[in-house]
Amino acid sequence: MFFHPRSNFLRLRAPALLWLAAGLTPAWAAAAPTPTAPHPVPANPTAAMIQDYCMDCHDSATRKGGVSLEEVDPANPAAAPDVWERVVRKLNSRQMPPNDQDRPDEATYNQVVASLEASLDKVAQAHPNPGRTDTFRRLNRTEYQNAVRDLLAVQIDATALLPNDEASHGFDNVTVGNLSPTLLDRYITAAQKIARLALGTSRRTPGGDTIRIRPDLTQEEHVEGLPVGTRGGALIPYEFPEDGEYDIQVRLTRDRNESVEGLTKPNDVEMLVDRARVALLTVAPPEGTKSYEGVDQNLKVRVPVKAGPHEIGVTFLKSATDILETEREPFYAHFNFHRHPRLTPAVYQVTITGPYDAKGPGDTPSRRLIFGGEPMHPANAAAEDASARRILAGLMRRAYRRPVTDEDLRKPMEFFHAGEVEGDFDSGLENALCAVLVSPQFLFRVEQDPPAAKPGAVYALGDLDLASRLSFFLWSSLPDDELLATAERGELGKPAVLEHQVRRMLADERAGSLATNFANQWLYLRNLDSFSPDLRLFPDFDDNLRQSMRQETELFFQSIQREDRSVMDLIKSDYTFLNERLAKHYGIPNVYGSRFRRVTLDPDSHRGGLLRQGSILTVTSYATRTAPTIRGKWIMENLLGSPPPPPPPNVPALKDNTISASLPMRARLAEHRANPACASCHNLIDPAGFALENFDAIGRWRVTEEGIPIDATGGLPDGSKCDGVAGLENGLAAHPEVFTTTMTEKLLTFALGRGVEPYDAPAIRQIVRQAKAQDYKFSSLILGIVNSTPFKMRKSP
Amino acid sequence: MIITKKALPRRTFLRGMGAAVALPLLDAMVPAATVMTSTPAKPVRRLGYIFMPMGADMPRWIPPGTNGRLDELSPILSSLAGVKDHVTAITNLELRNAYPGTHATSNAAYLSAAKAKHTESSDFYLGTTADQIAAQQIGQETQLPSLELAMDMLQTVGQCDNGYACVYQNNLSWSSPTTPLPAEAHPRLVFETLFGEGGNVADRRAALRKRASLLDWVTEDISSLQAKLGAADRARVGQYLDTVREVERRIQRAEADVADNPLPDLDRPTGVPASYTEHAKLMFDLQVLAMQGDITRVMTFQLARETSTRVYPETGVSDPHHPLTHHGNDPDKIARMAKINQYHVSLFAYFLERLKATPEGDGSLLDHSLIMYGSGMGNPNVHDHINLPVLVAGGAAGGMKGNRHIRYDNPTPLANLHLTLLDKVGVRIDSFADSSRKMDELFQPLAI
Repeated sequence: MFFHPRSNFLRLRAPALLWLAAGLTPAWAAAAPTPTAPHPVPANPTAAMIQDYCMDCHDSATRKGGVSLEEVDPANPAAAPDVWERVVRKLNSRQMPPNDQDRPDEATYNQVVASLEASLDKVAQAHPNPGRTDTFRRLNRTEYQNAVRDLLAVQIDATALLPNDEASHGFDNVTVGNLSPTLLDRYITAAQKIARLALGTSRRTPGGDTIRIRPDLTQEEHVEGLPVGTRGGALIPYEFPEDGEYDIQVRLTRDRNESVEGLTKPNDVEMLVDRARVALLTVAPPEGTKSYEGVDQNLKVRVPVKAGPHEIGVTFLKSATDILETEREPFYAHFNFHRHPRLTPAVYQVTITGPYDAKGPGDTPSRRLIFGGEPMHPANAAAEDASARRILAGLMRRAYRRPVTDEDLRKPMEFFHAGEVEGDFDSGLENALCAVLVSPQFLFRVEQDPPAAKPGAVYALGDLDLASRLSFFLWSSLPDDELLATAERGELGKPAVLEHQVRRMLADERAGSLATNFANQWLYLRNLDSFSPDLRLFPDFDDNLRQSMRQETELFFQSIQREDRSVMDLIKSDYTFLNERLAKHYGIPNVYGSRFRRVTLDPDSHRGGLLRQGSILTVTSYATRTAPTIRGKWIMENLLGSPPPPPPPNVPALKDNTISASLPMRARLAEHRANPACASCHNLIDPAGFALENFDAIGRWRVTEEGIPIDATGGLPDGSKCDGVAGLENGLAAHPEVFTTTMTEKLLTFALGRGVEPYDAPAIRQIVRQAKAQDYKFSSLILGIVNSTPFKMRKSP
Repeated sequence: MIITKKALPRRTFLRGMGAAVALPLLDAMVPAATVMTSTPAKPVRRLGYIFMPMGADMPRWIPPGTNGRLDELSPILSSLAGVKDHVTAITNLELRNAYPGTHATSNAAYLSAAKAKHTESSDFYLGTTADQIAAQQIGQETQLPSLELAMDMLQTVGQCDNGYACVYQNNLSWSSPTTPLPAEAHPRLVFETLFGEGGNVADRRAALRKRASLLDWVTEDISSLQAKLGAADRARVGQYLDTVREVERRIQRAEADVADNPLPDLDRPTGVPASYTEHAKLMFDLQVLAMQGDITRVMTFQLARETSTRVYPETGVSDPHHPLTHHGNDPDKIARMAKINQYHVSLFAYFLERLKATPEGDGSLLDHSLIMYGSGMGNPNVHDHINLPVLVAGGAAGGMKGNRHIRYDNPTPLANLHLTLLDKVGVRIDSFADSSRKMDELFQPLAI
């Protein structure tokens, strides 16, 4: 035991209820503290502060939050880095001591934090601990889809082929070590489908796919990418396996009575392949009392299509009488039969079947990529063999992310021969490709320890492993040829080469995955799809709005990335990306059409940074109302990096927590926080959420709620007060290192596929310090991570 | 004994997707009684486990009456009227190991009765679940030892953290303490798992041979890695090899099935029905098919994951489920939550009616099955794991007496029920997780 609490009297100040509030079973509280002789006041300033401000709760007897600072030595934090990293974090965010207790002045805070950090960093520098990533990491669904795209130039929908991935630490690339029978079974089926699609080998019977349109998509307006003068429908990217004829069949949306919604007069349906009209058909309401059963059966066309990727368009010609005439302000959403029905017919699904009268595999991007310069029809058996070897060697090098040997080729060549015997050269290649796609060397990223590594040894990753880490981090996909070649030459370890590669990769289109995959999970945009607000309260919410919200945030994130802006611009910004639908939702004038564009914002538009974007405000709300607690938790977790503790086990059943639903949200939560068991956490969580109360559950600006003026005073978990979203943003911007540390941690979790541990903290501090010198430019964070100990090194078990 | 397969029509019904299309055609699949009566009945052939998320309003769940019979059904159970004679309600079961009360442990303990290791990383650890123990006993003779199904298609983030990896909250079935089995929600993928891609006998055989040769290659490929790894990593590779062997076994089984019983051409369902009701019914239909074809004898089905914020417009309730369960004892909210509970039970009733209407041997599919329905939570408002809502359905073959309400005076481990159901399918173990004894009373004649 190092310190003794100042006095037992002070310890008794803490009411027993607070133990409960921290979510702890106070069983240990019964144990009497061992009396020891008091120590002299320590000379170390950290020790003095700990003794003065922390020991009421964090002595060995009270051990609040499971933390005792009595058994660790502030003069030698490196002896217990796990504990002291927690202390640093709580002090840095000013969450400790709690803001209703005595607190040191700012200078002391800063001095203590700096001294602790310096000691911890010094030790980390002398003895780096990169941690250990799992040896086997399966490509998750997104990575698999991207890998197939980059390996074969085939666009697949992996969600229709493979089961869901599980998320941990907020990302779905962490718990990816398992291989269940179901999953292996799916991998085989997927490999067969993909190999056939990539090579365009003939099928037993015509195949087909049905593409369903989301039922809550309003189809009254123009869809981006379809011809001007049309409304509704969909633009569907589709891979055609062979040259041949295909049927495209459209089915219209029915209501609960099996009538086609909105079909009150004849409508013209236009079908397009790659934006060229292939059919103009008319669908008319049935005569008299006839049923709607077959009313859209004629919406079918057989068209010749060349193999490869095409865009199928299905839409309606807009007629002048479609203009909405109503006395009331019309809703934008029209998909719900009872509340706001469709005014005109809508596409329910599009079925594509074929090929009929197949004319062979054609000339597709994927065949060009697979064959490279090799002949499609080698002259004789020997030439076929040599060609197949070269084709497979090239594919396998990219699929396995390393140079391939003759031994690697042996088995796939056997598959090639087996397939060739049954069919032809192409079927041989299909068979071999299938084998490559089910190989664990493709499906898993395997990081092996060096043969001679001693237990616990720290080593630098080889260039090939580093290349894979880079590409899966920045692209969620395989390394490309240049990256692989650089690694094969052994040059990737050179700092200038590495930086060049990172910058090249960030500029590449594939780096869009940082927005669509990383930010999508970090900011919970992924949850938008499962969010459906109460339609009676929010009659204007439909899939059009939902997708627009997602797009705004993804485009916004991408602009920070592409323009290499400061990541602090994510918090405060004077521009955003809007289309007409979203602009109307936000009440911003003069934005027309379905296309997104960058819009410079008026200061009074209430829009800009992440905290003002519909996507985030919506996924942190309930279906019927805002949820300041969820918003507050989101801010703590994703912007401040200090997630609140989980709710205590067995939340006490409060007899009196039945609160009138007519009270404003703040009043309801105030009742909630009146209970001390809830208050200790909700006092930290809720204020940040309150500051966003000017935004309703789907992100619209409001100044009253049910006639009562909105009170948007709130605060941050450090105890500072703020008013409204602008105040909250200023509070966040005042401590840029807090937000950038959080973003770095999220990026690092995603990059490594493991949770961030206390021993990573020195590396994270270094990244943030270096980024600060470059005004927190996006690339400075990425480069910092790529050059960090946990990213470039690994520890043997 | 796989006669049932021959009863499948040449072209079936799943193409249409919606319940309105699927159901009449399902009727058409009921095999000719003349064929079936020649098949001898056996004891309990199969076990099914259905999971309802986030507990229930127990006052509206627990059947009234104290005479041990289900004479009167409670509001939530009202839709079971037609199959009441096959249903037993069991009151006062608990899951001690699910504490501290969370959603993750509620799901994880439901079939394992085990404590989940508190971790968010890949070192998660639970326990082998009851269904998987059953699958080791009765699943080896069928193509699939077990079938894991769920309803949630969309991935979410940040909703199952609290320090527990999402695997706990999403996977009901664990084939070992470290191997969660992902459940499938996509009807077409389930169909393909059960029946492959269809086609005629020669096509199907050729397809299976291709898969088998690919698996040989996977085995070889993985094994070549093993030599280069340390001990811990070698163990992981060992698990992968077990997985490969299991898939190989399935393929061999399927090959034998193709030889014995040419499966008729089947059409696959194309997509996911838009409405939850249609989707759930289709998933139940697929389970009936899997049973009828004797493709698997162990099934688990998660009606929704814990903390699901799904809205069920079918019930007339517009609140999302999870927030509603934290009702704060508001009577209106509780009433609305009970409607969702009632709705979930009505889907279970649909399933039981399908099973009852599908002949097998000298009875129905239901007669030869034991199906457990329930939740890992009691009162979701406080995240407790006592007084769980639990039903067991079954029929003649296992000697299960329906129309019963067993009410324990003291909290009784849910593991006792798992142990009892396992015993009925021939698993001879003395205890399961925190079980204290078998529940023989489930199969004893009613004393009154």
